[in-house]
Amino acid sequence: MSRSRKPTEKAVGTRVFNGVSYLILTGVCIISLFPIFYVVLGSFKSNMEFLTAAGKLMPKSFDPVNYINAWETANFARYSLNSVIVTLCAIAGAVLLTSMAGYVFARGDFPGKKMIMGMFLGAMFLATGAITIYPIFSLAKGLHLNTSLWGLIVIYIFTIDVSQVYLVMGYVKGLPKELDEAARIDGCSFFQTFLRVILPLCKPILATVALLTFKTVWNDYLKPMVFTLSNENMKTLTVGVVSLKSSGGGAGAYDIMLAGTAISLIPMILFYCFTSRFFVSGITAGAVKG
Amino acid sequence: MKKKSLWRRIRENKSAYLMLLPVMIGFVALTLYPNLWVISLSFFKYDGITTPDFIGLENYIRMFTRDPGWWKAVGNTFIFAIGKLVVEMPLALFFAVLLNRKIKGTGLFRGILFLPNITSTAVMSVVFALLFSAYNGYFNSMLLKLDILERPVDWLGTMPAAMIVCILVSTWQSIGINTILFLAGLQGIPQDVYESADLDGAVGIKRFVYITMPLLARMVQVILMLAIIGSMQIFDLMKVLTGGGPSGATEVMMTKIYSYFFPSSYAASVVSQVGYGSALGVVASLIIGVVTVIYLIMSRKMDDIA
Repeated sequence: MSRSRKPTEKAVGTRVFNGVSYLILTGVCIISLFPIFYVVLGSFKSNMEFLTAAGKLMPKSFDPVNYINAWETANFARYSLNSVIVTLCAIAGAVLLTSMAGYVFARGDFPGKKMIMGMFLGAMFLATGAITIYPIFSLAKGLHLNTSLWGLIVIYIFTIDVSQVYLVMGYVKGLPKELDEAARIDGCSFFQTFLRVILPLCKPILATVALLTFKTVWNDYLKPMVFTLSNENMKTLTVGVVSLKSSGGGAGAYDIMLAGTAISLIPMILFYCFTSRFFVSGITAGAVKG
Repeated sequence: MKKKSLWRRIRENKSAYLMLLPVMIGFVALTLYPNLWVISLSFFKYDGITTPDFIGLENYIRMFTRDPGWWKAVGNTFIFAIGKLVVEMPLALFFAVLLNRKIKGTGLFRGILFLPNITSTAVMSVVFALLFSAYNGYFNSMLLKLDILERPVDWLGTMPAAMIVCILVSTWQSIGINTILFLAGLQGIPQDVYESADLDGAVGIKRFVYITMPLLARMVQVILMLAIIGSMQIFDLMKVLTGGGPSGATEVMMTKIYSYFFPSSYAASVVSQVGYGSALGVVASLIIGVVTVIYLIMSRKMDDIA
């Protein structure tokens, strides 16, 4: 008797528990997505709607006028172009530099290798961010790099994420060493082996590096803010959106601000929709290794 | 003899060094140099324009004896970091346990939960500032409409609401990554451990406490450390969402330091105090370093006990 009852009780229990799990997870997903929906829906509202009907999510109509205004009169065309240029250059730089460094650390055998690797590891404990932005900015100023986007670009290219170097290194170590030896026998030098044999095989991990760099640079705020303090035309999307908030214009800029926010968020989110699996695995791997 | 062979090995590996050169340039110019610069400038009085003036330990003396504002920012950083840990970690573990069950659609849930992580903190702070705004913010309007509030609450202009909002917004953004890290830890636990636990009669909460938690300990240590360091370096969120306000109540170490380097943003002082900002930067790095080391020692001790 009890034997036959127990499994069904368990099954009912599991079903209830599953139902509750779904309920909680759905709630959490709504919370996760809500601010994004708020931005997208709000970007179609007029300023008047913002002031008089703040509690309503739905706009009266889906008129793209805010986007046109943001794009044409509020300089968001320029901000977008800047963000795209800076991000693309940073991705190219990161892929090139981290792949070379990762390969050299994985396959090279040269005096000083341990010391250099140790230095890189130690660098993770050194100060960054708001603490070191001032000397970095004055260095760029000294090289006359602060008056164009180039300063920002050069700095992004040379800012190495050590955890990404380690990701690539781990990946190269996983490739069979016979490949290198075969290439060497065929007359490839150390560098040629990298270029012709290892680099093409590293595509998956370099895609991860590119995604992580895309996320970091596209979303970055501190560096582009400091570099564009006195140059409106060099602002990236992130800085452009935030400067609308702080300049405020009183209550005058909600419509443009939300359209600008949507312009800065949507490319990232669209990209994420198609590559979320790589994003998630890359970021978690980078976090744990780092 | 030995020296010669070393020299030869260096020469033979010329291409390896050349390939490392760009990364080394980046390391020296953007990590090593700025750090040494900040350390050395912390002994100077420097406004960013005139020549720096060597003043010895004066900046440090000022910091330790007559700058309550800085120590308040340090305190706020700890309040934020601990508050976020307390809110976020149990929730993230709970969500991970839910996602680890064999139910349909976990991939989609995971993807959505992670989505806030790929958005810009600065941009989302603008959005949350709108949502929590006192007079035409969405939350106030909703709560007033539903008669939960009688009058609008100034979420970002009063304490402790402002700090709580900062913690919640930050949790909103980073809970996805921690959930996924916990989930990776849970999935790393071999299934046969649970099977033998089942035979021994360990089920439900008991199973979680005695089997899952100890096996998850390593992962928890890593997650906690990343979370602590990340919270202590917080900048974008406070800078944009609250600007450090109300009256310095959400000012953290990094925003305070920034305001000495670039004072035009909001008035900590009118002229740049680069030397003093550098001294604060050195102490902030030391604080973060000490917290990390204490944490590492503590978690190692816990390992010995377990």
